[in-house]
Amino acid sequence: MLLEVKDLNTYYGESHVLQGISLTVEKGELVCLLGRNGMGKSTTLKSIMGLVKPKSGLINFKGEQILGMPAHKTARVGIGYVPETREIFPNLTVTDNLLLGIKKGKYSKGVGKDWTLERIYEHFPILKTRGSNKGFQLSGGEQQMLTIARTLMGNPELLLIDEPTEGLAPVMVEEVRDVLIEINKAGVSILLVEHNIKVALAMAHRLYLMGKAHVGFEGTPEELAKKPEIKRQYLEV
Amino acid sequence: MSGKLKLTIYWLIGLIIVIILPHVIGIVYTNVLVTFMMDAVFALSINLLLGFTGLLSFGHAMFFGIGAYAAALSLTHIQGFPLIGVIFISAISALLLACIVAPLLARVTGTAFAMLTLAFGQLLYVICLKFREITGGEDGIAGYDTPPIHLGFTNVDITDPTNFYYFAFVVLGLLAFFMWWLVKTPFGSVMISIRDNAQRVEYLGYRVKHSKALVLIISGTVTGIVGGVYALFHNLVSTDGVLTIFVSFYPLMGAYIGGIASFFGPIFGAGLLHVFDELTSRYTERVDLVNGLIFILVVMYAPYGAVGLWWSIKAWLFKSKLQKA
Repeated sequence: MLLEVKDLNTYYGESHVLQGISLTVEKGELVCLLGRNGMGKSTTLKSIMGLVKPKSGLINFKGEQILGMPAHKTARVGIGYVPETREIFPNLTVTDNLLLGIKKGKYSKGVGKDWTLERIYEHFPILKTRGSNKGFQLSGGEQQMLTIARTLMGNPELLLIDEPTEGLAPVMVEEVRDVLIEINKAGVSILLVEHNIKVALAMAHRLYLMGKAHVGFEGTPEELAKKPEIKRQYLEV
Repeated sequence: MSGKLKLTIYWLIGLIIVIILPHVIGIVYTNVLVTFMMDAVFALSINLLLGFTGLLSFGHAMFFGIGAYAAALSLTHIQGFPLIGVIFISAISALLLACIVAPLLARVTGTAFAMLTLAFGQLLYVICLKFREITGGEDGIAGYDTPPIHLGFTNVDITDPTNFYYFAFVVLGLLAFFMWWLVKTPFGSVMISIRDNAQRVEYLGYRVKHSKALVLIISGTVTGIVGGVYALFHNLVSTDGVLTIFVSFYPLMGAYIGGIASFFGPIFGAGLLHVFDELTSRYTERVDLVNGLIFILVVMYAPYGAVGLWWSIKAWLFKSKLQKA
Protein backbone atom coordinates (compact mmCIF):
# COMPACT_ATOMS: atom_id res chain seq x y z
CA MET A 1 0.00 0.00 0.00
CA LEU A 2 1.34 3.41 -0.95
CA LEU A 3 -0.75 5.66 1.28
CA GLU A 4 -2.86 4.75 4.26
CA VAL A 5 -4.86 7.35 6.15
CA LYS A 6 -6.54 6.10 9.30
CA ASP A 7 -8.92 7.86 11.72
CA LEU A 8 -7.72 11.30 10.76
CA ASN A 9 -9.09 14.11 12.91
CA THR A 10 -8.40 17.71 11.98
CA TYR A 11 -9.71 20.88 13.55
CA TYR A 12 -9.90 24.49 12.42
CA GLY A 13 -10.00 26.12 15.83
CA GLU A 14 -13.05 24.62 17.49
CA SER A 15 -14.58 23.14 14.33
CA HIS A 16 -13.99 19.45 13.87
CA VAL A 17 -13.56 19.42 10.08
CA LEU A 18 -12.25 15.87 9.58
CA GLN A 19 -13.92 13.30 11.81
CA GLY A 20 -12.04 10.04 11.60
CA ILE A 21 -11.30 9.99 7.87
CA SER A 22 -9.77 6.75 6.58
CA LEU A 23 -8.66 6.05 3.02
CA THR A 24 -6.00 4.20 1.08
CA VAL A 25 -4.19 4.61 -2.22
CA GLU A 26 -2.47 1.64 -3.79
CA LYS A 27 0.57 1.96 -6.02
CA GLY A 28 -0.49 2.99 -9.53
CA GLU A 29 -4.04 3.85 -8.49
CA LEU A 30 -6.06 6.92 -9.34
CA VAL A 31 -8.38 7.55 -6.44
CA CYS A 32 -11.01 10.30 -6.37
CA LEU A 33 -12.38 12.11 -3.35
CA LEU A 34 -15.85 13.40 -4.17
CA GLY A 35 -18.34 15.38 -2.21
CA ARG A 36 -20.17 18.65 -1.92
CA ASN A 37 -18.43 21.87 -0.92
CA GLY A 38 -17.31 22.13 2.69
CA MET A 39 -17.15 18.37 3.33
CA GLY A 40 -13.42 18.42 4.09
CA LYS A 41 -11.97 17.12 0.81
CA SER A 42 -9.32 19.82 0.45
CA THR A 43 -8.55 19.66 4.17
CA THR A 44 -7.89 15.94 3.79
CA LEU A 45 -5.24 16.67 1.15
CA LYS A 46 -3.79 19.51 3.22
CA SER A 47 -3.62 17.26 6.27
CA ILE A 48 -1.75 14.59 4.31
CA MET A 49 0.62 17.19 2.88
CA GLY A 50 1.36 18.70 6.27
CA LEU A 51 -0.16 22.11 5.52
CA VAL A 52 -2.73 21.58 8.25
CA LYS A 53 -1.80 19.75 11.41
CA PRO A 54 -4.22 16.93 12.29
CA LYS A 55 -4.96 16.38 15.97
CA SER A 56 -4.93 12.61 15.77
CA GLY A 57 -4.84 9.70 13.37
CA LEU A 58 -2.31 7.91 11.23
CA ILE A 59 -0.85 8.76 7.85
CA ASN A 60 1.45 6.10 6.47
CA PHE A 61 3.31 6.66 3.24
CA LYS A 62 5.31 3.67 1.99
CA GLY A 63 5.18 2.35 5.54
CA GLU A 64 6.56 5.55 7.03
CA GLN A 65 4.52 7.61 9.47
CA ILE A 66 4.28 11.14 8.06
CA LEU A 67 1.57 12.64 10.26
CA GLY A 68 2.58 16.12 11.40
CA MET A 69 5.58 16.24 9.08
CA PRO A 70 6.23 19.76 7.70
CA ALA A 71 5.24 20.24 4.06
CA HIS A 72 8.78 20.44 2.69
CA LYS A 73 9.61 17.06 4.25
CA THR A 74 6.40 15.50 2.96
CA ALA A 75 7.40 16.70 -0.51
CA ARG A 76 10.80 15.11 -0.04
CA VAL A 77 9.45 11.68 0.87
CA GLY A 78 7.69 11.63 -2.49
CA ILE A 79 4.31 13.32 -2.26
CA GLY A 80 3.53 16.14 -4.67
CA TYR A 81 0.73 18.60 -4.04
CA VAL A 82 -1.16 20.56 -6.68
CA PRO A 83 -3.35 23.12 -4.92
CA GLU A 84 -6.72 24.31 -6.15
CA THR A 85 -5.41 27.87 -6.35
CA ARG A 86 -2.64 26.73 -8.80
CA GLU A 87 -0.13 29.15 -7.36
CA ILE A 88 2.37 29.31 -10.15
CA PHE A 89 5.17 31.82 -9.73
CA PRO A 90 3.94 34.71 -11.90
CA ASN A 91 7.30 36.43 -12.31
CA LEU A 92 9.26 33.38 -13.43
CA THR A 93 9.18 31.95 -16.94
CA VAL A 94 7.40 28.67 -17.59
CA THR A 95 10.78 26.91 -17.86
CA ASP A 96 12.02 28.44 -14.60
CA ASN A 97 8.77 27.43 -12.91
CA LEU A 98 9.39 23.87 -14.08
CA LEU A 99 13.07 23.84 -13.11
CA LEU A 100 12.11 24.95 -9.63
CA GLY A 101 10.36 21.61 -9.23
CA ILE A 102 13.60 19.64 -9.53
CA LYS A 103 15.23 18.29 -6.42
CA LYS A 104 18.42 16.63 -7.49
CA GLY A 105 19.35 13.50 -5.68
CA LYS A 106 17.08 14.19 -2.74
CA TYR A 107 13.97 12.64 -4.12
CA SER A 108 12.80 9.16 -4.76
CA LYS A 109 13.56 8.11 -8.29
CA GLY A 110 9.86 7.76 -8.85
CA VAL A 111 8.27 5.03 -10.83
CA GLY A 112 9.89 4.28 -14.17
CA LYS A 113 12.24 6.96 -15.36
CA ASP A 114 12.58 10.37 -13.74
CA TRP A 115 10.65 13.33 -15.06
CA THR A 116 12.81 15.59 -17.16
CA LEU A 117 11.96 18.76 -19.09
CA GLU A 118 11.85 16.71 -22.31
CA ARG A 119 9.48 14.17 -20.82
CA ILE A 120 7.30 16.94 -19.40
CA TYR A 121 7.12 18.56 -22.84
CA GLU A 122 6.01 15.25 -24.37
CA HIS A 123 3.03 15.18 -22.02
CA PHE A 124 2.46 18.96 -21.94
CA PRO A 125 3.37 20.26 -25.43
CA ILE A 126 1.70 23.60 -24.68
CA LEU A 127 4.32 24.29 -22.01
CA LYS A 128 7.11 23.89 -24.55
CA THR A 129 5.65 26.53 -26.83
CA ARG A 130 5.09 28.83 -23.85
CA GLY A 131 8.52 28.12 -22.31
CA SER A 132 9.81 31.68 -22.30
CA ASN A 133 6.52 33.27 -21.24
CA LYS A 134 6.16 34.48 -17.68
CA GLY A 135 3.70 32.69 -15.43
CA PHE A 136 1.24 35.59 -15.36
CA GLN A 137 0.93 35.45 -19.16
CA LEU A 138 -0.66 31.99 -19.12
CA SER A 139 -4.35 31.16 -19.34
CA GLY A 140 -6.07 29.35 -16.47
CA GLY A 141 -5.77 25.97 -18.18
CA GLU A 142 -2.11 26.51 -19.01
CA GLN A 143 -1.46 27.54 -15.42
CA GLN A 144 -3.09 24.33 -14.26
CA MET A 145 -0.92 22.30 -16.64
CA LEU A 146 2.15 24.14 -15.40
CA THR A 147 1.31 23.47 -11.75
CA ILE A 148 0.86 19.76 -12.40
CA ALA A 149 4.01 19.59 -14.55
CA ARG A 150 6.09 21.47 -12.00
CA THR A 151 5.00 19.10 -9.26
CA LEU A 152 5.92 16.15 -11.48
CA MET A 153 9.45 17.53 -11.90
CA GLY A 154 10.04 16.56 -8.26
CA ASN A 155 9.38 12.92 -9.23
CA PRO A 156 6.59 12.29 -6.74
CA GLU A 157 5.25 8.78 -6.33
CA LEU A 158 1.92 10.14 -5.21
CA LEU A 159 0.22 13.27 -6.51
CA LEU A 160 -2.40 15.02 -4.40
CA ILE A 161 -4.45 17.16 -6.77
CA ASP A 162 -7.11 19.56 -5.60
CA GLU A 163 -9.92 20.34 -8.07
CA PRO A 164 -7.77 20.68 -11.19
CA THR A 165 -10.69 21.40 -13.52
CA GLU A 166 -12.24 24.13 -11.37
CA GLY A 167 -13.08 27.18 -13.46
CA LEU A 168 -11.69 25.78 -16.72
CA ALA A 169 -13.37 25.87 -20.13
CA PRO A 170 -14.86 22.46 -21.16
CA VAL A 171 -12.15 21.90 -23.74
CA MET A 172 -9.44 22.49 -21.14
CA VAL A 173 -11.25 20.21 -18.69
CA GLU A 174 -10.88 17.39 -21.19
CA GLU A 175 -7.20 18.17 -21.73
CA VAL A 176 -6.47 18.19 -18.01
CA ARG A 177 -8.41 14.93 -17.59
CA ASP A 178 -6.43 13.27 -20.39
CA VAL A 179 -3.14 14.49 -18.97
CA LEU A 180 -4.00 13.09 -15.54
CA ILE A 181 -4.89 9.71 -17.05
CA GLU A 182 -1.59 9.74 -18.99
CA ILE A 183 0.44 10.63 -15.90
CA ASN A 184 -1.28 7.87 -13.96
CA LYS A 185 -0.54 5.39 -16.74
CA ALA A 186 3.10 6.55 -16.60
CA GLY A 187 3.13 5.15 -13.06
CA VAL A 188 2.30 8.08 -10.77
CA SER A 189 -0.40 7.32 -8.21
CA ILE A 190 -2.97 10.07 -7.82
CA LEU A 191 -5.33 11.11 -5.06
CA LEU A 192 -7.68 13.57 -6.69
CA VAL A 193 -10.27 15.90 -5.23
CA GLU A 194 -12.79 16.65 -7.95
CA HIS A 195 -16.13 18.41 -8.05
CA ASN A 196 -16.89 17.40 -11.63
CA ILE A 197 -18.54 13.97 -11.22
CA LYS A 198 -18.30 13.11 -14.90
CA VAL A 199 -14.56 13.76 -14.96
CA ALA A 200 -14.06 11.81 -11.75
CA LEU A 201 -16.07 8.81 -12.89
CA ALA A 202 -14.25 8.78 -16.22
CA MET A 203 -10.84 8.30 -14.74
CA ALA A 204 -11.00 7.00 -11.17
CA HIS A 205 -10.13 3.42 -10.25
CA ARG A 206 -11.78 3.92 -6.88
CA LEU A 207 -13.92 6.60 -5.29
CA TYR A 208 -14.47 7.97 -1.82
CA LEU A 209 -17.62 10.00 -1.27
CA MET A 210 -17.34 12.44 1.58
CA GLY A 211 -20.28 13.52 3.68
CA LYS A 212 -19.94 16.09 6.42
CA ALA A 213 -16.36 15.54 7.66
CA HIS A 214 -16.46 11.76 7.12
CA VAL A 215 -16.23 9.16 4.34
CA GLY A 216 -19.69 7.90 3.39
CA PHE A 217 -18.95 5.57 0.53
CA GLU A 218 -15.97 3.71 -0.81
CA GLY A 219 -15.93 1.72 -4.03
CA THR A 220 -15.39 1.66 -7.76
CA PRO A 221 -17.30 3.86 -10.24
CA GLU A 222 -19.23 0.74 -11.29
CA GLU A 223 -20.28 0.03 -7.71
CA LEU A 224 -21.42 3.61 -7.32
CA ALA A 225 -23.46 3.37 -10.52
CA LYS A 226 -25.41 0.54 -8.90
CA LYS A 227 -26.28 2.68 -5.89
CA PRO A 228 -28.10 5.79 -7.11
CA GLU A 229 -29.39 6.54 -3.60
CA ILE A 230 -25.79 6.95 -2.37
CA LYS A 231 -25.02 9.22 -5.27
CA ARG A 232 -28.10 11.26 -4.47
CA GLN A 233 -27.27 11.43 -0.77
CA TYR A 234 -23.67 12.56 -1.13
CA LEU A 235 -23.40 14.34 -4.45
CA GLU A 236 -26.66 15.89 -5.51
CA VAL A 237 -27.63 19.26 -4.21
CA MET B 1 28.50 42.69 -36.40
CA SER B 2 27.68 39.79 -34.12
CA GLY B 3 25.86 40.45 -30.87
CA LYS B 4 28.76 39.13 -28.82
CA LEU B 5 31.27 41.43 -30.51
CA LYS B 6 28.94 44.37 -30.06
CA LEU B 7 28.61 43.58 -26.37
CA THR B 8 32.40 43.29 -25.98
CA ILE B 9 32.83 46.69 -27.64
CA TYR B 10 30.23 48.23 -25.30
CA TRP B 11 32.00 46.74 -22.31
CA LEU B 12 35.38 48.04 -23.52
CA ILE B 13 33.97 51.53 -24.08
CA GLY B 14 32.43 51.38 -20.59
CA LEU B 15 35.75 50.31 -19.10
CA ILE B 16 37.64 53.10 -20.85
CA ILE B 17 35.12 55.64 -19.53
CA VAL B 18 35.51 54.23 -16.02
CA ILE B 19 39.31 54.51 -16.30
CA ILE B 20 39.50 58.05 -17.66
CA LEU B 21 36.55 59.49 -15.71
CA PRO B 22 38.46 60.56 -12.56
CA HIS B 23 41.00 62.43 -14.71
CA VAL B 24 38.19 64.35 -16.40
CA ILE B 25 35.87 65.19 -13.51
CA GLY B 26 38.39 66.08 -10.82
CA ILE B 27 38.89 64.97 -7.21
CA VAL B 28 35.59 66.24 -5.76
CA TYR B 29 33.40 64.41 -8.22
CA THR B 30 35.66 61.34 -8.13
CA ASN B 31 34.88 61.15 -4.42
CA VAL B 32 31.18 61.64 -5.17
CA LEU B 33 31.45 58.71 -7.59
CA VAL B 34 33.00 56.52 -4.90
CA THR B 35 30.17 57.39 -2.52
CA PHE B 36 27.68 56.65 -5.28
CA MET B 37 29.28 53.22 -5.91
CA MET B 38 29.10 52.38 -2.20
CA ASP B 39 25.47 53.47 -2.00
CA ALA B 40 24.62 51.57 -5.18
CA VAL B 41 26.08 48.28 -3.94
CA PHE B 42 24.50 48.80 -0.51
CA ALA B 43 21.15 49.37 -2.25
CA LEU B 44 21.69 46.27 -4.40
CA SER B 45 22.38 44.15 -1.34
CA ILE B 46 19.23 45.48 0.35
CA ASN B 47 17.31 44.72 -2.83
CA LEU B 48 18.41 41.07 -2.71
CA LEU B 49 16.17 40.92 0.33
CA LEU B 50 13.50 43.44 -0.64
CA GLY B 51 13.03 43.14 -4.38
CA PHE B 52 13.97 39.51 -4.83
CA THR B 53 12.91 37.83 -1.59
CA GLY B 54 10.18 40.20 -0.41
CA LEU B 55 11.79 41.04 2.94
CA LEU B 56 12.00 44.67 4.01
CA SER B 57 14.99 45.34 6.25
CA PHE B 58 15.00 48.53 8.29
CA GLY B 59 18.22 47.65 10.04
CA HIS B 60 20.75 46.87 7.37
CA ALA B 61 23.04 49.51 8.83
CA MET B 62 24.01 46.89 11.43
CA PHE B 63 25.90 44.92 8.77
CA PHE B 64 27.34 48.06 7.22
CA GLY B 65 28.35 49.32 10.65
CA ILE B 66 29.93 46.11 11.89
CA GLY B 67 31.92 45.82 8.65
CA ALA B 68 33.11 49.40 9.03
CA TYR B 69 33.96 49.00 12.74
CA ALA B 70 35.78 45.71 12.12
CA ALA B 71 37.90 47.42 9.46
CA ALA B 72 38.60 50.49 11.60
CA LEU B 73 39.43 48.47 14.74
CA SER B 74 41.79 46.12 12.92
CA LEU B 75 43.58 49.00 11.24
CA THR B 76 43.84 50.82 14.57
CA HIS B 77 45.08 47.89 16.64
CA ILE B 78 47.04 45.71 14.24
CA GLN B 79 50.21 47.20 12.86
CA GLY B 80 50.59 46.74 9.11
CA PHE B 81 47.16 45.13 8.66
CA PRO B 82 46.86 44.43 4.92
CA LEU B 83 44.14 45.73 2.64
CA ILE B 84 42.90 42.28 1.74
CA GLY B 85 42.63 41.60 5.48
CA VAL B 86 40.36 44.66 5.84
CA ILE B 87 37.97 43.33 3.20
CA PHE B 88 38.13 39.87 4.73
CA ILE B 89 37.48 40.97 8.30
CA SER B 90 34.61 43.26 7.22
CA ALA B 91 33.03 40.32 5.41
CA ILE B 92 33.56 37.86 8.27
CA SER B 93 32.25 40.20 10.96
CA ALA B 94 29.07 40.94 8.98
CA LEU B 95 28.71 37.25 8.15
CA LEU B 96 28.95 36.30 11.82
CA LEU B 97 26.40 38.94 12.81
CA ALA B 98 24.08 37.75 10.04
CA CYS B 99 24.49 34.14 11.25
CA ILE B 100 23.47 35.25 14.75
CA VAL B 101 20.36 37.20 13.72
CA ALA B 102 19.31 35.06 10.73
CA PRO B 103 17.78 32.12 12.67
CA LEU B 104 15.38 34.54 14.34
CA LEU B 105 14.73 36.81 11.37
CA ALA B 106 14.14 33.93 8.94
CA ARG B 107 11.11 32.84 10.97
CA VAL B 108 9.21 36.07 10.39
CA THR B 109 8.03 38.08 7.41
CA GLY B 110 6.40 41.42 6.63
CA THR B 111 6.14 43.99 9.39
CA ALA B 112 7.64 41.65 11.99
CA PHE B 113 10.76 41.22 9.85
CA ALA B 114 11.06 44.97 9.31
CA MET B 115 10.61 45.72 13.02
CA LEU B 116 13.01 43.01 14.17
CA THR B 117 15.76 44.19 11.80
CA LEU B 118 15.13 47.72 13.05
CA ALA B 119 15.42 46.50 16.65
CA PHE B 120 18.67 44.63 16.01
CA GLY B 121 20.06 47.62 14.14
CA GLN B 122 19.21 49.96 16.99
CA LEU B 123 20.59 47.50 19.52
CA LEU B 124 23.95 47.50 17.79
CA TYR B 125 23.81 51.28 17.54
CA VAL B 126 23.30 51.62 21.30
CA ILE B 127 25.95 49.01 22.08
CA CYS B 128 28.51 50.84 19.96
CA LEU B 129 27.48 54.15 21.48
CA LYS B 130 27.92 52.84 25.04
CA PHE B 131 31.14 50.89 24.53
CA ARG B 132 33.04 54.09 24.11
CA GLU B 133 36.44 52.54 25.06
CA ILE B 134 36.29 50.27 22.05
CA THR B 135 34.22 52.17 19.51
CA GLY B 136 34.90 55.77 20.47
CA GLY B 137 31.16 56.35 20.90
CA GLU B 138 29.85 59.35 19.01
CA ASP B 139 33.40 60.50 18.21
CA GLY B 140 34.11 57.19 16.57
CA ILE B 141 37.45 55.80 15.47
CA ALA B 142 39.59 57.95 13.23
CA GLY B 143 43.09 58.52 12.03
CA TYR B 144 44.06 54.91 11.38
CA ASP B 145 46.51 54.08 8.62
CA THR B 146 45.09 53.16 5.25
CA PRO B 147 47.11 50.25 3.87
CA PRO B 148 48.36 50.36 0.30
CA ILE B 149 47.63 47.76 -2.37
CA HIS B 150 50.61 45.42 -2.66
CA LEU B 151 51.11 44.57 -6.30
CA GLY B 152 54.42 42.73 -5.81
CA PHE B 153 56.55 45.08 -7.84
CA THR B 154 55.01 48.24 -6.38
CA ASN B 155 52.62 49.55 -3.73
CA VAL B 156 49.60 51.62 -4.73
CA ASP B 157 48.64 54.30 -2.24
CA ILE B 158 44.86 54.38 -1.96
CA THR B 159 44.78 57.59 0.03
CA ASP B 160 45.08 59.12 -3.40
CA PRO B 161 41.41 59.71 -4.48
CA THR B 162 41.94 58.43 -8.02
CA ASN B 163 43.60 55.22 -6.80
CA PHE B 164 40.86 54.76 -4.24
CA TYR B 165 38.27 55.17 -6.97
CA TYR B 166 39.88 52.33 -8.96
CA PHE B 167 40.15 50.18 -5.85
CA ALA B 168 36.50 50.81 -4.92
CA PHE B 169 35.40 50.18 -8.47
CA VAL B 170 37.05 46.74 -8.51
CA VAL B 171 35.81 45.64 -5.06
CA LEU B 172 32.29 47.02 -5.41
CA GLY B 173 32.06 45.99 -9.06
CA LEU B 174 32.90 42.41 -8.11
CA LEU B 175 30.24 42.49 -5.39
CA ALA B 176 27.64 43.83 -7.84
CA PHE B 177 28.64 41.18 -10.37
CA PHE B 178 28.36 38.47 -7.71
CA MET B 179 24.83 39.57 -6.81
CA TRP B 180 23.83 39.77 -10.48
CA TRP B 181 25.14 36.24 -10.99
CA LEU B 182 23.34 35.05 -7.85
CA VAL B 183 19.92 36.19 -9.02
CA LYS B 184 20.48 34.39 -12.33
CA THR B 185 21.20 31.06 -10.62
CA PRO B 186 18.44 28.59 -9.68
CA PHE B 187 18.76 29.95 -6.16
CA GLY B 188 17.70 33.32 -7.61
CA SER B 189 14.51 31.65 -8.84
CA VAL B 190 13.92 30.28 -5.35
CA MET B 191 14.32 33.80 -3.93
CA ILE B 192 11.74 35.23 -6.35
CA SER B 193 9.41 32.33 -5.63
CA ILE B 194 9.66 32.90 -1.88
CA ARG B 195 8.72 36.53 -2.50
CA ASP B 196 5.74 35.52 -4.65
CA ASN B 197 4.47 32.56 -2.66
CA ALA B 198 6.51 31.18 0.21
CA GLN B 199 4.08 28.40 1.08
CA ARG B 200 4.10 27.06 -2.46
CA VAL B 201 7.91 26.92 -2.32
CA GLU B 202 7.64 24.97 0.91
CA TYR B 203 5.51 22.22 -0.59
CA LEU B 204 7.76 21.98 -3.59
CA GLY B 205 10.20 20.63 -1.03
CA TYR B 206 12.38 23.68 -0.29
CA ARG B 207 13.20 24.87 3.18
CA VAL B 208 11.95 28.44 3.01
CA LYS B 209 13.38 29.55 6.35
CA HIS B 210 16.84 28.25 5.46
CA SER B 211 16.70 29.94 2.07
CA LYS B 212 15.62 33.23 3.63
CA ALA B 213 18.41 32.96 6.20
CA LEU B 214 20.91 32.34 3.40
CA VAL B 215 19.77 35.42 1.46
CA LEU B 216 20.05 37.48 4.64
CA ILE B 217 23.56 36.18 5.30
CA ILE B 218 24.70 36.89 1.73
CA SER B 219 23.10 40.34 1.73
CA GLY B 220 24.55 41.14 5.16
CA THR B 221 28.04 40.00 4.18
CA VAL B 222 28.03 42.11 1.02
CA THR B 223 26.85 45.11 3.04
CA GLY B 224 29.64 44.44 5.56
CA ILE B 225 32.25 44.63 2.81
CA VAL B 226 30.76 47.93 1.64
CA GLY B 227 31.14 49.06 5.26
CA GLY B 228 34.82 48.10 5.12
CA VAL B 229 35.30 50.16 1.95
CA TYR B 230 33.51 53.06 3.69
CA ALA B 231 35.94 52.81 6.62
CA LEU B 232 38.90 52.97 4.23
CA PHE B 233 37.38 55.85 2.30
CA HIS B 234 36.38 58.11 5.18
CA ASN B 235 39.13 57.22 7.65
CA LEU B 236 36.46 57.73 10.29
CA VAL B 237 33.91 55.30 11.63
CA SER B 238 31.35 56.63 14.12
CA THR B 239 27.93 55.47 15.28
CA ASP B 240 26.27 58.41 13.54
CA GLY B 241 28.09 57.70 10.32
CA VAL B 242 27.48 53.97 10.02
CA LEU B 243 24.76 52.79 12.38
CA THR B 244 21.89 55.27 12.51
CA ILE B 245 18.48 54.49 11.04
CA PHE B 246 19.23 56.87 8.19
CA VAL B 247 22.13 54.68 7.10
CA SER B 248 19.56 51.90 6.59
CA PHE B 249 16.95 54.18 5.03
CA TYR B 250 19.13 55.90 2.46
CA PRO B 251 19.92 52.79 0.36
CA LEU B 252 16.32 51.65 0.84
CA MET B 253 15.19 54.93 -0.68
CA GLY B 254 17.69 54.43 -3.48
CA ALA B 255 16.29 50.96 -4.17
CA TYR B 256 12.69 52.24 -4.19
CA ILE B 257 13.41 55.30 -6.32
CA GLY B 258 15.35 53.24 -8.85
CA GLY B 259 12.89 50.36 -8.80
CA ILE B 260 12.97 47.23 -6.70
CA ALA B 261 11.49 45.08 -9.46
CA SER B 262 14.70 45.12 -11.48
CA PHE B 263 18.24 44.17 -10.55
CA PHE B 264 19.76 47.42 -11.85
CA GLY B 265 17.02 49.68 -10.45
CA PRO B 266 18.80 50.34 -7.13
CA ILE B 267 21.92 51.49 -9.02
CA PHE B 268 19.86 54.07 -10.91
CA GLY B 269 18.14 54.98 -7.67
CA ALA B 270 21.43 55.54 -5.85
CA GLY B 271 22.59 57.67 -8.79
CA LEU B 272 19.38 59.70 -8.85
CA LEU B 273 19.57 60.30 -5.09
CA HIS B 274 23.10 61.66 -5.53
CA VAL B 275 21.95 63.95 -8.33
CA PHE B 276 19.01 65.17 -6.19
CA ASP B 277 21.38 65.72 -3.25
CA GLU B 278 23.79 67.64 -5.42
CA LEU B 279 21.12 69.87 -6.94
CA THR B 280 19.10 70.40 -3.76
CA SER B 281 22.11 71.30 -1.64
CA ARG B 282 22.82 74.24 -3.97
CA TYR B 283 19.58 75.92 -2.94
CA THR B 284 18.69 74.64 0.53
CA GLU B 285 20.02 72.77 3.52
CA ARG B 286 16.81 70.73 3.73
CA VAL B 287 18.15 67.98 1.50
CA ASP B 288 16.50 65.20 3.51
CA LEU B 289 13.14 66.96 3.32
CA VAL B 290 13.35 67.09 -0.47
CA ASN B 291 14.49 63.46 -0.62
CA GLY B 292 11.54 62.51 1.57
CA LEU B 293 9.10 64.34 -0.71
CA ILE B 294 10.59 62.62 -3.76
CA PHE B 295 10.27 59.30 -1.98
CA ILE B 296 6.59 59.94 -1.20
CA LEU B 297 5.95 60.88 -4.83
CA VAL B 298 7.69 57.71 -6.05
CA VAL B 299 5.71 55.47 -3.69
CA MET B 300 2.43 57.15 -4.70
CA TYR B 301 2.87 57.57 -8.44
CA ALA B 302 5.71 55.29 -9.55
CA PRO B 303 5.74 52.29 -7.21
CA TYR B 304 8.13 50.45 -9.54
CA GLY B 305 10.57 53.37 -9.45
CA ALA B 306 12.50 54.91 -12.31
CA VAL B 307 12.93 51.58 -14.08
CA GLY B 308 9.20 50.89 -13.81
CA LEU B 309 8.49 54.35 -15.20
CA TRP B 310 10.84 53.63 -18.10
CA TRP B 311 9.02 50.34 -18.76
CA SER B 312 5.69 52.14 -18.81
CA ILE B 313 7.00 54.80 -21.22
CA LYS B 314 8.39 52.07 -23.49
CA ALA B 315 5.08 50.20 -23.43
CA TRP B 316 3.19 53.43 -24.19
CA LEU B 317 5.53 54.27 -27.10
CA PHE B 318 5.14 50.76 -28.47
CA LYS B 319 1.36 51.00 -28.18
CA SER B 320 1.14 54.34 -29.99
CA LYS B 321 3.48 53.02 -32.69
CA LEU B 322 1.15 50.04 -33.17
CA GLN B 323 -1.90 52.29 -33.34
CA LYS B 324 -0.25 54.44 -36.05
CA ALA B 325 0.75 51.38 -38.08
